[in-house]
Formats: sequence, C-alpha cells, structure tokens
Amino acid sequence: METFFQSLVNGILTGTLYAMIGVGLTVIFGVMRIINLAHGDMVMLGMFGAYWSYTLWKIDPFVSALLLVPLLFIAGMLAYRFLLKAIIPGGELNTLLYTAGLSLLIANLALFAWTGDYRTLNLAYAEVPLRPYGIAVPVPLAIAFGLAVLITVALYFFLARTDTGRAVRATSQNAEAAALMGINVENISMITFGLGAALAAAAGVLLVPSLYLYPTVGEILIVKCFVIVVLGGLGSVPGAIAGGILLGVVESYGAVYVSVAYKDTIGFIIFLLVLLFRPQGLFGARQA
Amino acid sequence: MALLEISGLTRNFGGLRAVSNLSFTVAAGEILGLIGPNGSGKTTIFNLITGFLSPTMGDIRLDNENIVGLKPYAVTRRGITRTFQIVKPFPHLTVRENAALAALVRLGDRAKADAEAVRALKQVGLADKLDIPASDLTLGDQKRMEIARALATGPKLLLLDEPLGGLNPREMEDACGLIEHIHATGITVILVEHVMKAIMRISHRVVVIRQGEKIAEGPPAQVVSDPAVISAYFGKRVA
Amino acid sequence: MKRALPPIITGILLLCIPLMVSNQFLLHLGIIVLMWTVLGVSWNLLGGYAGQVSFGHASFFGVGAYTTMILYLSFGLAPWYGMALGGIMGALLSLPIGFICFRLRGPYFSLATLAVAEIVRLVALNWEQLTHGPMGLLITTLPVVTLFGEPINWERKGPFFLIVAVIALSAMFATYLLARARLGSYLLAIREDEDAAESIGINTTRAKVSALALSAFFTGLAGGFYGMYFRYVDPDAVFPISLSIEMVFIAVVGGLRTIAGPVVGAVFLTTIAELVRERFEVGHLIFYGLFMMLVIRYLPDGIWGRVLRLFTPQR
Repeated sequence: METFFQSLVNGILTGTLYAMIGVGLTVIFGVMRIINLAHGDMVMLGMFGAYWSYTLWKIDPFVSALLLVPLLFIAGMLAYRFLLKAIIPGGELNTLLYTAGLSLLIANLALFAWTGDYRTLNLAYAEVPLRPYGIAVPVPLAIAFGLAVLITVALYFFLARTDTGRAVRATSQNAEAAALMGINVENISMITFGLGAALAAAAGVLLVPSLYLYPTVGEILIVKCFVIVVLGGLGSVPGAIAGGILLGVVESYGAVYVSVAYKDTIGFIIFLLVLLFRPQGLFGARQA
Repeated sequence: MALLEISGLTRNFGGLRAVSNLSFTVAAGEILGLIGPNGSGKTTIFNLITGFLSPTMGDIRLDNENIVGLKPYAVTRRGITRTFQIVKPFPHLTVRENAALAALVRLGDRAKADAEAVRALKQVGLADKLDIPASDLTLGDQKRMEIARALATGPKLLLLDEPLGGLNPREMEDACGLIEHIHATGITVILVEHVMKAIMRISHRVVVIRQGEKIAEGPPAQVVSDPAVISAYFGKRVA
Repeated sequence: MKRALPPIITGILLLCIPLMVSNQFLLHLGIIVLMWTVLGVSWNLLGGYAGQVSFGHASFFGVGAYTTMILYLSFGLAPWYGMALGGIMGALLSLPIGFICFRLRGPYFSLATLAVAEIVRLVALNWEQLTHGPMGLLITTLPVVTLFGEPINWERKGPFFLIVAVIALSAMFATYLLARARLGSYLLAIREDEDAAESIGINTTRAKVSALALSAFFTGLAGGFYGMYFRYVDPDAVFPISLSIEMVFIAVVGGLRTIAGPVVGAVFLTTIAELVRERFEVGHLIFYGLFMMLVIRYLPDGIWGRVLRLFTPQR
C-alpha cells in the first residue's frame, strides 16, 4: 500500500513539472497554431542556465530562475519576431519543419559547446528527503512542486485578470475576431511565444536538480510534451496541467507495476489512442 | 422510382441534433432546391449523402441501393458528386489538370481523361483558360472549374453547395444558365442556395430545412408562401 | 527516348565508379551519400508526392537492418536476400502504422508517426531475446560469393558501392514510374487537397497506404544494406528520432516532389557532414538544422527545386 501512495506522490510531483513544460507549448499552439518542436530545447537551455549558474557561481537554481526566466522570455520574443514571423504564412507543416531545424540547431550547438556528458546537479539540501507520512519526497522536487503551483496560479491570474492575458485568450480562440476588436495580434503572438519560452525555462530550472542533464535531452522532453498536450487538448492550459499530472502518474505506476523498461511506451500508446479516438484531447474544443 | 431516397436521416453531434428525422426523395432528372436559414444543416446533409459524415440513424438509397457507410470516393464512383461551399481547387494544378484528374479516376486512360476534361470545361465556359493555374482564377471561375471537375466524374446526381455564393449578378445569370444546361444533359441536381431568385427560377421542387428538420416541401411558388417557411426566415409575426 | 539518355548515362557512369576509383575513403564517402540518397528518395515518395510528412521512417530502416542481421546470424540467410526481406518487412510494418496514422492529417499525422517510431525503438531496445537490446547485433564475416570465378573481397568498399548504387538507382526509377502512373496523379491530388481528391473518386486511404508501403520498402532495403556494410546494428544507430528527421531534412533541403531533389539534398548535406566531421568531430547536425531553416525561409522548393525553376520558362 505504501508503494501505491509513494508512486502516486512521485507521479504527481513529476507530473506537475511535466505540466509546466506542456503549458508553454500549448499556449504557443493556442495563439499561433505553431507546434514548436524546439520547445524541449528551450527547457534544456533553462536547465543548463541553472546548472552553470550553480557550478560556476554557486547560485541556487531556484534563485537563478529569477534571471533565466526573463532572459528566455526576451529570447523567445526575439525568436518570434526575427525567425518565426516570416515562416508562419507558409503553413503549419512548414512551420513544424522550421522549428525542427531550430531544435536541431540549438541542441547541437549546445552539444558542441558543452559535450554530451551526462551531468547532474547535486544540491547540498537534496541529500536527505522529506518524509511526510512515511512517503519519501526529495527536497528539490518538493520546492519545484511548490514553485510550479505558484507559477500556475500566476499564469491563471495573468490570463484571466490582466488585459494582455485576456488578449492572449481572445487571440487563441479566434485570431481574426481579436484583430477586429483592436487587438494587435502580432504583438500578442510575440508576447505569447516569449511566455512559452519563459515557461520552458522555468520548467527547466525546476527540473534540473531532479533529472540527468545533457544537450539532447530536449528530444525526449518534446515527445513527452506532445503526449501531455494532446492528452489535455492542444491549446488548453488546464488540459496541459491535467495531462502532465496524468502522464506523471501513469509513468510512475507503469514503472512499478508493469515494467521500468516499457514505461515510456505506455505514454506513447496513450498518445496514439487519444490522437485516434479523441483528437481534441480530454479538455480541448472540438475543431469544426 | 426515385433516384435518391432519404428516410429518417438523423445526425447528432454530442447533444446537438444537426439533422433530425429527415425524409425526402429526389426523382431522376429533376432539380431539387434545398433551402433554409443559415445553420439549418444543409451542408451537413450533403456531407451525409456523400459519405464525409456517417448518419447516427437513417437510410440513404441511390437507385434503391443503400449507400450509408460508403466512403466518399465510393459514393462518387456510384454516381453522386458534390461541389464544396468554399471552393477546393487543386491550387497548383492547371484548370485542365484539375478536371483531367477527375476524369482519370473514372476512365483510366490519360488521353481519354484529357479529352473528357476539355469537354467538361467547354461546357462550363472555361475553354479559354485551360492552362492557367487554378489558384490564379477568379472566385467565379474557380466555382465553374469545380463544377466542371464534378462533371468529369460522370455523375448521375450532382450536389451543388451554394454555387452562387460570392458571385456578381452577371455571374449569377451565367451560373443559373449553366445549371439548367447541365440538367438538360440528363443529370439530376440538388441545389443548396440562399439566392431565392435562382431557386425560384431553376428548381422543380424545393425542400425547406430548419434546425435539421424538414418544414416544407413542394413546388417553389407553393413553398415560398407557406407560413411555416416564412416564419422560419422572418419570424412568427410576419407570417 | 532522348529525355531518358542523361539519367541512363549517369546511372551507367555511377556503376562504373568502383572500377575507376580505388581510394577507399572516397568510395566510403560515396557509399554514405548513396545510402542517404536512397533514404531521401524513399521518404520523398510519401512526403513529397503525397504530402504526408512522416517523422517516423527510422522504424522501417531499423526493421530492415534487424531483419537482415537476425536472418543471417540465426538462420544463415545471406544478407543480400536478407536485405530484400528487410525491405518487405519494412513494407509490412508500414501497413498497421499507416492504418493508425493516416486517420490524422497534417502535423498530427507527423506527430503520430513520431510516437509510433519511438514505440518501435523502445520495443527493439527492450525485446532482448530477439534483438540483444542495447548490445546490438554483430556480423563478423560475410558469406563467400564468387563472381566470374573470383570470390568477392568484402574487405574492399567497391562491391558495397555497387550494391548501394543499384538500390539507389532502383529507388529513383521507382519514383519515376510512380510519378507517371495513375497512383502518382492520385497522390498529387491528395497533396493539393485531400477532401477534394476523395470527392472525385480517389480512394485516398489506399493511395496513401500504397505510397507508404513503397517508401517503407526502400527504406527497409537501405536498412538491410546498412547492416551488411557496417556489420553492427543497435537500437541507437538504426531507430533514433534523429535519423527520421535527417531523412526529412535531406528531402526538404534537396527539393520535394522531384526525383533528383533528394539526391542533391543527400550529396549536399552528407558532404557538409563529412567535412565538419573532419574538422570538428561533432556538429554536422548544426548545419542540418541551419540549412533546414534557411531552405524553408528562402528556398521552399528546395535547392534542386530552385535550380529547376531557373531553367523552366514561367507559365
């Protein structure tokens, strides 16, 4: 029984971090209909940023986030303005291929700069896990979970209560109507892409104490990210959160009760089943 | 015997009844007008007949043969071809190639297909624009090309989805003439349209749809003065 | 007949290369270029002509490679027969994959192929009984074959060059036949507008499945060749996502829906890769990514597509 709850807790904690990655991607898709294959690599950049800050200057990753997240927000906006904007008129598939190229570029520049060695971030306070009710919870994971919840709440307030946030939601529901209402769709798109990149960076920082780090980690992350986002419904933020937690829990139980080796496969099979039978996801709106 | 028989046709989308217990027939050689307010389900009916959607319930029979469950290409091969409300040309191909493809599927031989395509294109009046890429045509010409493409499949029954949408009055005249001409060659036509003048002029019979249900059926003049129809379009008080 | 002359002459010249060139490194380079040509050309059958962008072709490559290796190591079947069977296995695998993935369109189709390919890779990684898992499979010696009384020297690159050249020429010839056949026109229609294609009577599912099967066959064949040439396969070498993506890049950068496009792409990208490997050891993928971005932005028809447009008169 203890294993059951331990797996559940592990799943929810990891799942929340997955959800962070998924939220960034889904927000970008919702507003611009872009499937950003480079998203996983943006997470990787966040991870490496935190890693180097800690290794070189002893800055705790959760602190370096304060610099990295805004940095990647700006980088994301610039990437949209100078790279993506010209590509979008070419169609969804072209954009997909373009971001695939971007992903390869970023990942391999990182590989070239930092080598393919697997790295870990060993924080001093990560040694002894917390043990609420006898369930082991690694300290960094707990902190990350708390921050992830905070970020999600902040995101909710941004989208629901601020004018810019509402503009983002409007554009994602109907870009043409939003433009007619006076919303500068181009600016909103730019801000949204920056937001997606910032969320990716945040996810990376939160993840780095708990995951192996290497330049091509983006590959696995992006695929998991798609499972999440499709599960939850492309464009739906609550969907991405639910999808992330669901995937975390499924993988956790899969590893314990089915087989460690095939736990990744379970995620993909669910992905395919959802794509086939409920392509709008669990929470997504049905496309006309 | 009717060419097309629709009975009890129903299609639900979750809780929404897009088409509800619809029944009507189309006799061979007639032009049937299908009208109704926006959102009444007319294109859904076309999608159901041609296999792009499958009915929740009901029967569709062509020449007394059940065609429910057939995929769209099979429905076309049985003799029903449709045009689309928003034109769907093959944009990078020429006008000629667009029509020839349709003929190729039926005839199998490229030379014959080309000849058939040219014939169909002449029929719709695009003989002078054969080698222009489809995406370079005006909307009116694209609609005519789509009709020619449909004709090239050799249909018994042609479903035209708002062929007059977006056309100027002169183009509408030409389009009406074209539909009558097609009818004269023996093809049965179901015409979905909003332009009442055209419906009145061309149709032999009209079926009126509202919120997925048939509310009237009969010759155009009769249907237009039916109180149920008037209230569907203008509200109860006018009727 | 006149139009066929340049390709035929090029083909013959290609086959004569092993007789004229004895530099083993150059031949090796040629083999790599030709192998990627096969991959680019096969991917193009589905991606360029039918417009279905698959990110999962590595699964067919890997299946071809493993089929060849397993049949030789466990049953002694000579790799050249194994290669052919590898191609057939690839085509067979493509049937359920197509059945699942073709229900989706555009980018959703692409993502589905990615997921399926990953599932295949994970199965290969974990089904140790069949595939030896991460340890992979190794061939130490190839069977003795005599040609005109002389045994073929498998330690030299020449024979391999000939084999892969024949495969490449066959793949290109198959593309040519497909383009001329009715199926080629149907695929074109599907690429332009799938619903419209369906509405004029084209069985779009059957057309797509056929294109995929043909594409998967040649990809599997290339996989089998890979096994024979490198004599070692493991899941990371033949099933990775990066391999699928490189196939896409070669076809897109070279030029979709032309026969020569993927060839140009393969030559271009492989040459860059080898040059970079010479200088820097790693990093050739940096250029793949960069060129992909440049091509989509400035040369959407690919390099060869752009070249062709320079030579054809505007309509």
